Amino acid sequence: MKSNTMAAAGGRKQPTNQADPLGPNSEIGRKLKQYYDDLVSEEVPDRFADLLRQLDERTQPQPARDGE
Amino acid sequence: MTQADTGSGSSFKSELLGAIPSLRAFAMSLAQNADKADDLVQETLVKAWDKQASFQPGTNLKAWVFTILRNEFYSQMRKRGREVQDSEGIMTERLAVHPSQHGSMDLDDFRTALETLPEDQREAIILIGASGFSYEEAALICGVAVGTIKSRVSRARSRLQEILGVSGEADYGPDSISAQVMGSSAA
Repeated sequence: MKSNTMAAAGGRKQPTNQADPLGPNSEIGRKLKQYYDDLVSEEVPDRFADLLRQLDERTQPQPARDGE
Repeated sequence: MTQADTGSGSSFKSELLGAIPSLRAFAMSLAQNADKADDLVQETLVKAWDKQASFQPGTNLKAWVFTILRNEFYSQMRKRGREVQDSEGIMTERLAVHPSQHGSMDLDDFRTALETLPEDQREAIILIGASGFSYEEAALICGVAVGTIKSRVSRARSRLQEILGVSGEADYGPDSISAQVMGSSAA
């Protein structure tokens, strides 16, 4: 009887005894961050900054051509 | 002629610039090929620039560009005629990685294991476990329910643990290095 009630209550509320399954105490979590941080810290090729500069220039209002 | 007074686009531009390292990391996680990943990032930047007006300043730009990149990735995959993997089918045939000894795995082992995950699980565990998004943000990025993300993350995690031969060690304190130290001094 008693355990029945508890089971019902437990079904409603998920038992969360592990705070963060991918947190610093999880080896999978740590490797995942290591894997990703390696990628993030790779040097970014210049082509991306160049691309954004070009896009930006393209969008800029054109300089007045009719020489004020 | 210094009319370099950059307009309203400049803060958007610098925010985009700042997002590039994470965009590349996410692209690599999805495409698993550096050239394809950088092409994806390039496409994403162009698209993001063109859709600039639809970005609401003050909202999460990183989540916004991740969404664009992810859509681009899947639309390219579809164009190439490749079926987008669904989680269930390919599981068994992909279990080819041998588990490493002693439960302390190499990053290469981990990378290989990660590659065996179906895309939907891999992106979920990356977004949550590495890119720092909340379940709600990841759900928006992937266009699915929060519960779907949760179950994908959890399946991805158990699959990785299984492949790599580690158990869910979140329950006890010491990390693997101090566990090793303690182990060797006890031996």
